[in-house]
Amino acid sequence: MLPELNPLIHSQLRLSIMTLLAVVAEADFSYLRERTQATAGNLSVQLDKLSRAGYIQLTKEFVGKKSHTTCRLTDEGRRALEEYVAALKCYLNL
Amino acid sequence: MKTRAFSEKESLELITQMLQQTRQNLEIGSGNLFLYYGYAAVVLSVAVFAAVLLTHQSIWAAGWFLMFVVWIGQLVAGRRRREAVVTFMDRAIAQTWQVVGMLFALTVVVIAAIGWGTGIYDFALMLPLSLLYAGIGTAVTGVIVRVGALVYMPLVAFVLAIYMLVMLAAGASPEAWWHLGFGGAFLVMMVVPGHVLNHKAKRSCSRN
Repeated sequence: MLPELNPLIHSQLRLSIMTLLAVVAEADFSYLRERTQATAGNLSVQLDKLSRAGYIQLTKEFVGKKSHTTCRLTDEGRRALEEYVAALKCYLNL
Repeated sequence: MKTRAFSEKESLELITQMLQQTRQNLEIGSGNLFLYYGYAAVVLSVAVFAAVLLTHQSIWAAGWFLMFVVWIGQLVAGRRRREAVVTFMDRAIAQTWQVVGMLFALTVVVIAAIGWGTGIYDFALMLPLSLLYAGIGTAVTGVIVRVGALVYMPLVAFVLAIYMLVMLAAGASPEAWWHLGFGGAFLVMMVVPGHVLNHKAKRSCSRN
């Protein structure tokens, strides 16, 4: 029986976010927005979902007068992504 | 990009595409930091050398403490802006230079404390030790970013630092040209590699 793909990761935008954050130590909101080509609202909603699941950590601060959101993958998120990729390989017989 | 269910094959393709694009864009960092410290050291070396040579007063060597102005400037600039993305490489380099920075500060504090106890403030050791610290920081950065110029250029600084240490251990006093030599070593160890890094970064950007 094939393992179930984690529904929280198996979505185009959330998977893009998780993959991008897996490669870097941390990235800010504008970087993720630029790389995923998502709208600010959609990206914000998906980041919130991943954050509530404990997969990513969001740090909000003020730099000068502007608010700045930094995102990074948590250990739990990294594990979940690894499990997701392993399950994906089963589906694709890799 | 909408949130929608997609096939396993699409999912794998997306992961591969994201990984490739991100890695291409994050290959190499900027050499500006090397240039700030490198040029500051070169300018100060000429100024300190000229002052010591003309006045025969070694107190002018205290001018080297102006290097901390560059460090403070960096701290202030760092508070005003955040990088859009921090790679694991960036983090490793930043932590390497934090250790180097702490070594600089610790050396100043220890020498000052010894001076406070003995009444003799002798900062002559700062020259060779600074060359060693900065050289190690540059070489480790070179190993992390895999740029040979950064790994091997500090050899000049190491040779000069060892010479200075041997001379000081033999009881010699620092000579005026040591300051110029210090600036020369920074020119080779930081300015040249800084330009090499920037050139590589520019080439990498124009490719993408």
